[in-house]
This record gives sequence, structure tokens and C-alpha cells, in this order.
Amino acid sequence: MKITMVKKLFADGSPCKKCAEVEQKMQQAGQLERIDQIVIADEADPASAGMLLATEHNVDRAPFFIVEQASGAVDIYTVYFKFVKEVLNAQTSEDEELQEIMNDNPDLDFI
Amino acid sequence: MSNPASTINLADIDLTLSTLSPQEILRHALENHDNIAISFSGAEDVVLIDMAHKIRPDLQVFSLDTGRLHAETYHFIEKVRKHYDIKIDVVMPEGARVEALVKEKGLFSFYEDDHKECCGIRKIAPLRKQLLTVDAWITGQRRDQSPGTRAAVPVIQDDKAFARPDDQLTKYNPLANWTSQQVWDYIRTNNVPYNELHDRGFISIGCEPCTRPTGPGQHEREGRWWWEEATKKECGLHAVNIDK
Repeated sequence: MKITMVKKLFADGSPCKKCAEVEQKMQQAGQLERIDQIVIADEADPASAGMLLATEHNVDRAPFFIVEQASGAVDIYTVYFKFVKEVLNAQTSEDEELQEIMNDNPDLDFI
Repeated sequence: MSNPASTINLADIDLTLSTLSPQEILRHALENHDNIAISFSGAEDVVLIDMAHKIRPDLQVFSLDTGRLHAETYHFIEKVRKHYDIKIDVVMPEGARVEALVKEKGLFSFYEDDHKECCGIRKIAPLRKQLLTVDAWITGQRRDQSPGTRAAVPVIQDDKAFARPDDQLTKYNPLANWTSQQVWDYIRTNNVPYNELHDRGFISIGCEPCTRPTGPGQHEREGRWWWEEATKKECGLHAVNIDK
């Protein structure tokens, strides 16, 4: 299994806040060791490796994870807690999961 | 988990469905999923129930009862249940979690922090639990409800946030392309029952402490969480830079 993490740089060169938070969490939990490569999606450069991967996999948010199996099957994870649970087999708290859902889906405000 | 092939497929379907009426979108949704439920907020999304009931009377409908809704909304949910002779699954938050929040931060913590913690416990957690039981769901989300958070609401989407592990959950927003005016034209024309709070200046209706009437010229978003500043969405990979 090969895992690629794609994180984002804004067009002004500043890092994506959620990408930084996720990376820090993974660092603290020792999960970064499970990531084979980290690729940058630079909004100022549509030809950057991360932007090309986003286009290839039809992803419109960051960070996201590409999980390639030896069989050739590829799964894309755009929800961090699902990636952690389903790929890394690690636990996350319900509070963290709800927070991520709300932050990533502001349209849920009116549900 | 997301399967790229299915995501692309849904994007194609979205293009097609976007040209259809809400009734046609609902028909597509109801004919393609047996285990599908309408999320009813107790506001003008009642039009979905009216439309869907004409297609499939045995609707699955659920409402999120946060425990902080207006009395008028509770009466309205009951009125809708009787009017259409349907079951409405009223979903409530986990008591222990609400008690813990109130014990630690009081009954109005959202005025001092922000509304997300309270919404997470009272609304999103029970929503997630409910959505684990279905294959697809239908909401009344419209693009015109909030230029900030709903401008890009599609008609159909692969709901990765609430899907069961290793499974797919499809979300339909049949009213995505309708305006508030179109919704209200439908309600008036079809004599659809509506929440009496609308007659008192409430456009968007949520929990009682977090909803207020709006005045002439105000956007409906100004009637919700008015003490908070709109926050910038940060995690999107901006489409302008992605050559699709």
C-alpha cells in the first residue's frame, strides 16, 4: 500500500490552516511515518503536482489522501477522520469528528 | 472513502439533474433509492414533503429536534405529520452529551464561544447517527440561502462526511437552484401548510435562541447567528486553479 498526502498552499504562498493542523496531529500521533509521500497543491501553480492530482481524482478540498493498493485499486479520502479510521486503523474522538464535519461542510448550518 | 469513478459519475448526473425541476429530481431520487429519507427542518422545506408525497406516499422523513426549537416549529412538525398522514422520525441528541455541555458552559454558551459546539452535539451528532441508517437523503438546501456557505450546493453529491465506512451515501438537494420566491410561490399555489413564524418575519428558522426575524432588505442569513462574523472557508482547492 502506498499513501500520498496532498496539502495545499494558498495562491499567496500561505499554508492551508487545516492542512497544517492535520499534519501536526499526524506528527503527534506518529502517523506521518505511514505516509509515503507528501505533495503540494499550489493554488498559484495549476501545474503543481498536488493540483494535478486534485484534477485527476476530481477532488476540490485539501488535505486529501490517495491510497494505492498493490492490486492497483486507488481510494481517495477527503475526510481526515475516515482516513485515520479506515486506513490507519486508529481512533479519533467524536468531538474531533464532528468538528471536522462542521468545518468542512459549512452548508450544514441550515439543516 | 471515495471512489473516483463514482464521484465523476455523480458529477455527470448533477449536470443532467441541474436542468430538471425539483419534482423531477425528487422522482429520480425516489426511484433510484429504496432506503432514502427527507430531512425536514420544520421550515419552508416542507415543499419537499408535498412534492415527494405526490410521487411516493410512503415517505421516510426525519426532523432533528435539538431541544431548542420554537414551540411553533414543534406544532408545525405535528401539523405536517397529520396533514400528509406520514411518520416523521423526530431525532434527538444524546442526553448525556447535552447535559455535560450545559453543566460545563451553561445554556447559552453559543453566544460566548460560537454555535458550532452546541450544533455539533444537538444537531450534527444525531444527524450522523440517523444517516447511518439510510442509503440516500434529501435536503431543502438552496444556493440562495447563503452566498457564503451554499453558493455551490449541487443537486446531487457523494456525501463523504456521513457515509457508512466503506459505503456510499448520496445526498440530493432538489431545491438547490430554486429561489426563496419560487419556494413561496409553490407553497401559496399548492396550499402547502407552513410554519407560522414565517408570518412574523422569520425567513430562516432554526433553534429559538439562534434565530431572529429579518427586516426589509436583509438577507435570511442575517437572521441566524447574527453575533458571529462570517468565517472564511479555507479548505477548498479553488476551482479557478483547477482545469476541469
